[in-house]
Amino acid sequence: MLFKDQLDFVKQHIKKNKLRVFMTVLAATMGCAFLIVLASVGFGLQDSLRNEILSDEKVTKIQVHGNDQFTEAQINEIKSIDHVETVLETITVNASAQSIFEDRDTQSDLYVANMHDFEQVNGKLAEGKYPTKPNEIVVGYHFAQTLVNDAERKIIEEKNKKAELEGTFYNGSEEGYKDSLIGKEIELSLMPHTDGAKETEKMKYTIVGVMKKPSYDWMINNSIYMDTEQKPMLATKLAATGHVKEDEMFYSEFNIFADSMENVKPILDKLKDKGYSVYSITEQLDQMNVFFLVLKIGLIFVGTIAVLIASIGIFNTMTMAVTERTREIGVLKAIGASPKLIQRLFLMESTFIGIIGTLIAVAISYVISFAANATLPLILEAATGEDAFSKNDITFSLIPWQLVLIASAISIGVAMISGYRPARKATKIDVIQALRQEL
Amino acid sequence: MIQVENLQHTFLIGKKGKEKQVPVLKGVNFEVKKGEVVAIVGKSGSGKSTLLQILAGYMKSEQGSIKVNGMETAHLTEVESAAFRLQQFGFIFQNFQLMPGLTAFENIELPLKLQGIKKAMRIEKVKKLMDKVGLTEVADHYPNELSGGQQQRVSIARALITNPPILLADEPTGSLDSETEQDILLLIQSLNREFGLTFVIITHDEEVATIAHRRFRMYDGELVKEEA
Repeated sequence: MLFKDQLDFVKQHIKKNKLRVFMTVLAATMGCAFLIVLASVGFGLQDSLRNEILSDEKVTKIQVHGNDQFTEAQINEIKSIDHVETVLETITVNASAQSIFEDRDTQSDLYVANMHDFEQVNGKLAEGKYPTKPNEIVVGYHFAQTLVNDAERKIIEEKNKKAELEGTFYNGSEEGYKDSLIGKEIELSLMPHTDGAKETEKMKYTIVGVMKKPSYDWMINNSIYMDTEQKPMLATKLAATGHVKEDEMFYSEFNIFADSMENVKPILDKLKDKGYSVYSITEQLDQMNVFFLVLKIGLIFVGTIAVLIASIGIFNTMTMAVTERTREIGVLKAIGASPKLIQRLFLMESTFIGIIGTLIAVAISYVISFAANATLPLILEAATGEDAFSKNDITFSLIPWQLVLIASAISIGVAMISGYRPARKATKIDVIQALRQEL
Repeated sequence: MIQVENLQHTFLIGKKGKEKQVPVLKGVNFEVKKGEVVAIVGKSGSGKSTLLQILAGYMKSEQGSIKVNGMETAHLTEVESAAFRLQQFGFIFQNFQLMPGLTAFENIELPLKLQGIKKAMRIEKVKKLMDKVGLTEVADHYPNELSGGQQQRVSIARALITNPPILLADEPTGSLDSETEQDILLLIQSLNREFGLTFVIITHDEEVATIAHRRFRMYDGELVKEEA
């Protein structure tokens, strides 16, 4: 029998029992949609957490534990490992930097780093360029915002009091210096964190670049970054205050950067083999992925139970179909239809129910997923009074193509299996008995 | 064309463990030649229907040999037997055994579909045959919209559509009134004369047996040849 004729045959029988087939398709749809939506919660939460982790830290960064100071030879050894982009030494100056510009001033942290390595790691700036001359600096994205005068300081204080009464917090975003700081010269003095220390004398620096906005809305970066060449000069100035010991002036932090996320793992393994105590955010991701893999398998398993329940409907429908059509099957066999063909026709029918049910379920699942992501944050916000749900872009449900594939395979597979026994029963029908049946 | 030798069959009757063996065919021998109309006459329970069912491959005999066009069919598997039936036999049943959900045209077309023949060719063949057996007018009618005679004509057309060399008929006029019975018998005769088709007719009706070239009488599982 031609495949097209087999399809016609199946269609004809489905048309004859529209309502029954519709109800069975509905059951299959509900089972499959339940499976997809349930598992999509696992995928959604994993995605949210992953994004949270990845936006917090640079994924290619490998942190070095402890206060180990790398020697030049060690840095070169690490740099020689394949796919290591750079080893960045970030020196934190143990003092608070006081910046004065016109009638404005601010306090911030000061970092010293090799600007070439620093550029390699941080990439494009929000504005300007990286320092190339000794008196040039890069400032954090919020540096201009925190640069306020006395009048603005009072306004901020008032706004903060008002906000506190409402139980919120005001970050001063409406005040500060509004024009571009590129090319502007500031006066910088350092106030060491040690007891009894005095402020250093003022130094003049030109702002040449502004860093990118931090990945979190709540993060304020008004730090100052300058080249390592400035370190001896800073040390002299700090020493001149008379209250800072030489070994307390600077703290170094070493970070290793891979050229891509995929290469972090092999670099990490090599570094560990060499005896370095290193850590990467990807390790946390790996652990999280294992946890979510188990969670997703669990959810898919629970969802599959719904599909299995729906399969009972398919089994019943197909068994009824075979029983009702016993005489027709008998006639088909009598005039020469092979048992294999009869089995195929019934298997096609149950597969058809599975396919249609799955297709509708996939469409419905996407609608539910979209609706859940759109409305759940609003509902949770209304219920809890926390606006974190709507602000933090949490994905409650995510349906990747892999989930669609897995759910379709389970749903259609189960439909085929549940149709198998009735189909086998059809092939076993005795021709003589069937032909004796009354019309 | 058909050679049956020493065909034996026994039915097991009764409760499991206490079954009784009832011999239905006790060594049946007969031969059908090409272009012949052979009638097997007998009372109910004489074993004639069992003989036809074994001939058609619906059930297997316990002993004996059946050769159709020189091919031993008694030991074919279920799948082989189905393929053989589709190619070699046309079937005419007492209750017509038409598909209720298919029109007269679609019922006749069914064996061609099973053979995997393309639609265009199927339509041409069915139209031609319907015209020949006088069914063109009722092509789109469903079986319940046809008279008994028309239904049996559709059944005969379905049996003929694949051009099988042999037609097996089980009480072909059993459900018809005497007038329609005559029509069907005339049709069988004309098909035999015109196309040289071989018929094996199983009947309890002596009248039907009159159109046969040769006649066998089935009595208590044994077959006896009678003069035509």
